[in-house]
Amino acid sequence: MSACTHQWFMTNIRSGYLVVEGCFECGARSSFFSSEAVPPIDEYQDGKHFWIYMGSSQAVKFDLKCSRCGITVDLDDVNGLMLSTCEDPDCEVGKIVRQQSKGTWVYVALCANSTHAKGKCVSGQGIDALNQYFNQNIKAPDKKIIVVPCRLCNSIDKCRGIIIADVNLTDMYPDTSQGGRPRGKD
Amino acid sequence: MEVSEIMEKTGLKAINQFKDKEVEGVYISDMVSDIITGAKANSILITLQTHKSLIAAANLVDVAMIVFVKGKKPADDVVELATKAEIGLFTSDLDAWSFAKKLTELGLN
Repeated sequence: MSACTHQWFMTNIRSGYLVVEGCFECGARSSFFSSEAVPPIDEYQDGKHFWIYMGSSQAVKFDLKCSRCGITVDLDDVNGLMLSTCEDPDCEVGKIVRQQSKGTWVYVALCANSTHAKGKCVSGQGIDALNQYFNQNIKAPDKKIIVVPCRLCNSIDKCRGIIIADVNLTDMYPDTSQGGRPRGKD
Repeated sequence: MEVSEIMEKTGLKAINQFKDKEVEGVYISDMVSDIITGAKANSILITLQTHKSLIAAANLVDVAMIVFVKGKKPADDVVELATKAEIGLFTSDLDAWSFAKKLTELGLN
Protein backbone atom coordinates (compact mmCIF):
# COMPACT_ATOMS: atom_id res chain seq x y z
CA MET A 1 0.00 0.00 0.00
CA SER A 2 1.30 3.45 -0.89
CA ALA A 3 2.24 5.80 1.96
CA CYS A 4 1.50 8.77 -0.27
CA THR A 5 -1.46 11.02 0.51
CA HIS A 6 -2.35 11.36 -3.12
CA GLN A 7 -3.16 14.66 -4.74
CA TRP A 8 -4.88 13.66 -7.95
CA PHE A 9 -5.29 15.54 -11.18
CA MET A 10 -6.89 14.47 -14.43
CA THR A 11 -4.55 13.32 -17.15
CA ASN A 12 -4.84 11.73 -20.57
CA ILE A 13 -8.19 13.45 -21.12
CA ARG A 14 -9.54 12.28 -24.45
CA SER A 15 -12.74 13.15 -26.28
CA GLY A 16 -14.72 10.68 -28.31
CA TYR A 17 -17.96 8.77 -28.34
CA LEU A 18 -19.53 6.29 -25.97
CA VAL A 19 -21.01 3.66 -28.28
CA VAL A 20 -23.76 1.42 -26.92
CA GLU A 21 -24.42 -1.98 -28.48
CA GLY A 22 -27.09 -4.54 -27.79
CA CYS A 23 -27.29 -8.26 -28.49
CA PHE A 24 -30.58 -9.03 -30.17
CA GLU A 25 -30.28 -12.69 -29.17
CA CYS A 26 -30.08 -12.29 -25.39
CA GLY A 27 -30.77 -8.59 -24.80
CA ALA A 28 -27.38 -7.91 -23.19
CA ARG A 29 -25.93 -4.43 -23.49
CA SER A 30 -22.36 -3.43 -23.91
CA SER A 31 -20.56 -0.16 -24.48
CA PHE A 32 -17.17 1.03 -25.55
CA PHE A 33 -15.33 4.28 -26.00
CA SER A 34 -14.30 5.31 -29.50
CA SER A 35 -11.92 8.17 -30.19
CA GLU A 36 -12.56 7.99 -33.93
CA ALA A 37 -14.03 11.04 -35.64
CA VAL A 38 -17.03 8.95 -36.66
CA PRO A 39 -17.90 6.19 -34.19
CA PRO A 40 -18.21 2.68 -35.68
CA ILE A 41 -21.70 1.30 -36.23
CA ASP A 42 -20.73 -2.20 -37.36
CA GLU A 43 -22.85 -5.23 -36.56
CA TYR A 44 -20.83 -8.31 -35.69
CA GLN A 45 -20.91 -11.69 -33.98
CA ASP A 46 -18.79 -12.38 -30.91
CA GLY A 47 -19.32 -15.89 -29.54
CA LYS A 48 -22.99 -16.33 -28.68
CA HIS A 49 -23.71 -12.60 -28.98
CA PHE A 50 -24.72 -10.74 -32.13
CA TRP A 51 -24.05 -7.10 -31.39
CA ILE A 52 -25.97 -4.31 -33.07
CA TYR A 53 -25.39 -0.58 -32.79
CA MET A 54 -27.89 1.12 -30.46
CA GLY A 55 -26.56 4.64 -30.30
CA SER A 56 -23.69 6.86 -29.30
CA SER A 57 -23.06 10.07 -27.44
CA GLN A 58 -20.12 12.39 -27.09
CA ALA A 59 -18.05 11.48 -24.06
CA VAL A 60 -14.79 12.18 -22.31
CA LYS A 61 -12.38 9.70 -20.77
CA PHE A 62 -9.60 10.48 -18.34
CA ASP A 63 -7.08 8.91 -16.00
CA LEU A 64 -5.91 10.20 -12.63
CA LYS A 65 -2.31 10.99 -11.77
CA CYS A 66 -0.87 11.86 -8.38
CA SER A 67 1.19 15.06 -8.38
CA ARG A 68 3.11 13.86 -5.32
CA CYS A 69 4.22 10.30 -6.09
CA GLY A 70 3.63 10.27 -9.84
CA ILE A 71 1.45 7.15 -9.92
CA THR A 72 -1.21 7.06 -12.66
CA VAL A 73 -4.48 5.18 -12.25
CA ASP A 74 -5.90 3.97 -15.54
CA LEU A 75 -9.65 4.56 -15.68
CA ASP A 76 -10.18 2.95 -19.04
CA ASP A 77 -12.72 0.62 -17.43
CA VAL A 78 -14.94 3.58 -16.42
CA ASN A 79 -17.49 4.34 -19.12
CA GLY A 80 -19.51 6.86 -17.16
CA LEU A 81 -20.75 8.14 -13.82
CA MET A 82 -24.29 8.12 -12.52
CA LEU A 83 -25.80 10.01 -9.59
CA SER A 84 -27.77 7.41 -7.67
CA THR A 85 -31.27 8.15 -6.50
CA CYS A 86 -31.92 4.47 -5.85
CA GLU A 87 -34.91 3.46 -3.74
CA ASP A 88 -34.70 -0.29 -4.43
CA PRO A 89 -34.67 -2.05 -1.02
CA ASP A 90 -32.72 -4.99 -2.48
CA CYS A 91 -30.01 -2.90 -4.13
CA GLU A 92 -26.64 -2.49 -2.41
CA VAL A 93 -26.25 0.98 -3.88
CA GLY A 94 -29.70 1.91 -2.58
CA LYS A 95 -28.68 0.76 0.90
CA ILE A 96 -25.54 2.92 0.74
CA VAL A 97 -27.64 5.91 -0.42
CA ARG A 98 -30.09 5.49 2.48
CA GLN A 99 -27.25 5.31 5.03
CA GLN A 100 -25.89 8.74 4.10
CA SER A 101 -26.62 12.00 5.82
CA LYS A 102 -27.57 15.24 4.07
CA GLY A 103 -24.75 16.53 1.89
CA THR A 104 -23.40 13.13 0.93
CA TRP A 105 -23.98 12.03 -2.65
CA VAL A 106 -23.49 8.57 -4.08
CA TYR A 107 -22.26 8.21 -7.66
CA VAL A 108 -21.99 4.89 -9.49
CA ALA A 109 -18.98 4.30 -11.74
CA LEU A 110 -20.29 2.46 -14.80
CA CYS A 111 -18.23 -0.19 -16.53
CA ALA A 112 -18.65 -1.40 -20.11
CA ASN A 113 -20.89 -4.41 -19.52
CA SER A 114 -23.91 -3.90 -17.28
CA THR A 115 -24.52 -7.66 -17.02
CA HIS A 116 -21.04 -8.26 -15.51
CA ALA A 117 -21.21 -11.64 -17.24
CA LYS A 118 -17.41 -11.86 -17.36
CA GLY A 119 -17.08 -10.83 -13.72
CA LYS A 120 -15.36 -7.57 -14.62
CA CYS A 121 -16.22 -4.12 -13.30
CA VAL A 122 -14.39 -0.92 -12.43
CA SER A 123 -11.18 -1.72 -10.50
CA GLY A 124 -10.90 -1.13 -6.76
CA GLN A 125 -7.90 1.11 -7.39
CA GLY A 126 -9.96 3.17 -9.81
CA ILE A 127 -12.83 3.52 -7.33
CA ASP A 128 -10.42 4.61 -4.57
CA ALA A 129 -8.79 7.19 -6.84
CA LEU A 130 -12.14 8.59 -8.00
CA ASN A 131 -13.31 8.94 -4.39
CA GLN A 132 -10.14 10.73 -3.41
CA TYR A 133 -10.12 12.96 -6.50
CA PHE A 134 -13.67 14.26 -6.27
CA ASN A 135 -13.53 14.76 -2.49
CA GLN A 136 -10.15 16.51 -2.50
CA ASN A 137 -11.61 19.25 -4.70
CA ILE A 138 -14.81 19.89 -2.74
CA LYS A 139 -14.90 23.20 -0.88
CA ALA A 140 -18.33 22.96 0.74
CA PRO A 141 -17.67 21.94 4.37
CA ASP A 142 -20.47 19.39 4.81
CA LYS A 143 -20.34 17.84 1.37
CA LYS A 144 -19.01 14.41 0.49
CA ILE A 145 -18.96 12.29 -2.66
CA ILE A 146 -19.02 8.48 -2.52
CA VAL A 147 -18.19 6.61 -5.73
CA VAL A 148 -19.15 2.94 -5.90
CA PRO A 149 -18.72 0.36 -8.69
CA CYS A 150 -21.77 -0.58 -10.78
CA ARG A 151 -21.44 -4.27 -9.82
CA LEU A 152 -23.21 -3.24 -6.57
CA CYS A 153 -26.27 -2.15 -8.56
CA ASN A 154 -29.18 -4.57 -8.69
CA SER A 155 -29.84 -3.61 -12.28
CA ILE A 156 -28.21 -0.72 -14.09
CA ASP A 157 -30.82 -0.91 -16.82
CA LYS A 158 -33.67 -0.41 -14.31
CA CYS A 159 -31.82 1.95 -12.00
CA ARG A 160 -33.40 5.31 -11.17
CA GLY A 161 -30.17 7.21 -11.55
CA ILE A 162 -29.05 10.30 -13.43
CA ILE A 163 -26.29 9.37 -15.85
CA ILE A 164 -23.76 12.06 -16.65
CA ALA A 165 -23.79 11.56 -20.38
CA ASP A 166 -24.35 13.78 -23.36
CA VAL A 167 -27.22 11.80 -24.77
CA ASN A 168 -30.78 12.97 -25.33
CA LEU A 169 -30.11 16.17 -23.44
CA THR A 170 -32.48 18.12 -25.61
CA ASP A 171 -35.35 15.67 -25.17
CA MET A 172 -38.32 16.11 -22.91
CA TYR A 173 -38.53 13.36 -20.32
CA PRO A 174 -41.66 11.91 -18.74
CA ASP A 175 -42.79 12.46 -15.17
CA THR A 176 -42.03 9.25 -13.21
CA SER A 177 -44.53 10.15 -10.51
CA GLN A 178 -47.14 9.01 -13.03
CA GLY A 179 -45.34 5.72 -13.65
CA GLY A 180 -43.21 6.80 -16.57
CA ARG A 181 -39.57 5.98 -17.20
CA PRO A 182 -36.98 7.31 -14.78
CA ARG A 183 -36.06 10.92 -15.35
CA GLY A 184 -32.62 11.73 -16.61
CA LYS A 185 -31.91 8.08 -17.49
CA ASP A 186 -32.81 8.40 -21.16
CA MET B 1 -16.90 37.83 -4.89
CA GLU B 2 -20.01 36.15 -3.48
CA VAL B 3 -22.98 34.70 -5.35
CA SER B 4 -25.37 37.43 -4.17
CA GLU B 5 -23.02 40.20 -5.26
CA ILE B 6 -22.65 38.70 -8.74
CA MET B 7 -26.42 38.38 -8.99
CA GLU B 8 -26.88 42.02 -8.08
CA LYS B 9 -24.12 43.39 -10.31
CA THR B 10 -25.03 41.39 -13.42
CA GLY B 11 -28.82 41.59 -13.16
CA LEU B 12 -29.37 37.86 -12.72
CA LYS B 13 -32.74 36.48 -11.70
CA ALA B 14 -32.63 33.77 -9.02
CA ILE B 15 -34.56 30.59 -9.79
CA ASN B 16 -34.14 28.86 -6.42
CA GLN B 17 -33.15 29.51 -2.84
CA PHE B 18 -29.37 29.72 -2.91
CA LYS B 19 -26.59 29.61 -0.36
CA ASP B 20 -24.19 32.53 -0.54
CA LYS B 21 -20.61 31.46 -1.10
CA GLU B 22 -17.40 32.78 -2.56
CA VAL B 23 -17.11 32.30 -6.32
CA GLU B 24 -13.64 31.54 -7.61
CA GLY B 25 -13.89 31.02 -11.36
CA VAL B 26 -16.02 30.70 -14.48
CA TYR B 27 -16.67 27.82 -16.86
CA ILE B 28 -18.83 27.80 -19.98
CA SER B 29 -20.12 24.49 -21.33
CA ASP B 30 -23.24 22.77 -22.61
CA MET B 31 -21.79 19.25 -22.40
CA VAL B 32 -22.11 17.40 -19.09
CA SER B 33 -19.11 15.16 -19.80
CA ASP B 34 -17.03 18.28 -20.40
CA ILE B 35 -18.18 19.87 -17.15
CA ILE B 36 -16.70 17.11 -14.98
CA THR B 37 -13.32 17.51 -16.65
CA GLY B 38 -13.31 21.31 -16.87
CA ALA B 39 -15.36 23.06 -14.20
CA LYS B 40 -13.75 23.72 -10.83
CA ALA B 41 -15.14 23.87 -7.31
CA ASN B 42 -16.91 27.12 -6.40
CA SER B 43 -17.07 28.24 -10.01
CA ILE B 44 -19.93 29.74 -12.02
CA LEU B 45 -21.19 27.46 -14.75
CA ILE B 46 -22.67 29.31 -17.73
CA THR B 47 -24.81 27.13 -19.95
CA LEU B 48 -27.79 26.70 -22.24
CA GLN B 49 -28.29 23.15 -21.02
CA THR B 50 -31.25 22.59 -18.67
CA HIS B 51 -31.27 18.80 -18.37
CA LYS B 52 -31.13 17.11 -14.96
CA SER B 53 -27.80 15.51 -15.89
CA LEU B 54 -26.30 18.99 -15.71
CA ILE B 55 -27.00 19.15 -11.95
CA ALA B 56 -25.51 15.67 -11.42
CA ALA B 57 -22.31 16.86 -13.12
CA ALA B 58 -22.20 20.27 -11.44
CA ASN B 59 -22.74 18.72 -8.02
CA LEU B 60 -19.91 16.23 -8.56
CA VAL B 61 -17.39 19.01 -9.12
CA ASP B 62 -18.94 21.33 -6.50
CA VAL B 63 -19.99 24.19 -8.77
CA ALA B 64 -21.22 27.19 -6.76
CA MET B 65 -23.86 28.53 -9.13
CA ILE B 66 -25.32 27.91 -12.58
CA VAL B 67 -26.40 30.66 -14.95
CA PHE B 68 -28.79 29.69 -17.73
CA VAL B 69 -28.35 32.18 -20.52
CA LYS B 70 -30.80 33.46 -23.18
CA GLY B 71 -33.61 33.34 -20.63
CA LYS B 72 -33.62 29.55 -20.31
CA LYS B 73 -35.26 27.99 -17.27
CA PRO B 74 -35.05 24.36 -16.12
CA ALA B 75 -37.97 22.10 -15.14
CA ASP B 76 -39.17 21.94 -11.55
CA ASP B 77 -37.47 18.62 -10.76
CA VAL B 78 -34.15 20.03 -11.97
CA VAL B 79 -34.60 23.04 -9.68
CA GLU B 80 -35.49 20.71 -6.81
CA LEU B 81 -32.31 18.65 -7.26
CA ALA B 82 -30.14 21.77 -7.49
CA THR B 83 -31.69 23.20 -4.33
CA LYS B 84 -31.00 19.93 -2.50
CA ALA B 85 -27.40 20.16 -3.73
CA GLU B 86 -27.23 23.81 -2.59
CA ILE B 87 -26.41 24.99 -6.10
CA GLY B 88 -27.85 28.39 -6.89
CA LEU B 89 -29.68 28.59 -10.22
CA PHE B 90 -30.02 31.85 -12.09
CA THR B 91 -31.20 33.04 -15.46
CA SER B 92 -29.95 35.82 -17.70
CA ASP B 93 -31.46 37.16 -20.90
CA LEU B 94 -27.96 37.65 -22.31
CA ASP B 95 -26.12 35.10 -24.45
CA ALA B 96 -23.13 33.25 -23.00
CA TRP B 97 -20.53 35.59 -24.50
CA SER B 98 -22.26 38.78 -23.37
CA PHE B 99 -22.74 37.44 -19.86
CA ALA B 100 -19.13 36.23 -19.68
CA LYS B 101 -17.96 39.71 -20.65
CA LYS B 102 -19.90 41.12 -17.69
CA LEU B 103 -18.07 38.72 -15.39
CA THR B 104 -14.65 39.71 -16.72
CA GLU B 105 -15.59 43.36 -16.16
CA LEU B 106 -16.18 42.40 -12.53
CA GLY B 107 -12.73 40.83 -12.38
CA LEU B 108 -13.85 37.20 -12.58
CA ASN B 109 -12.17 34.91 -15.08
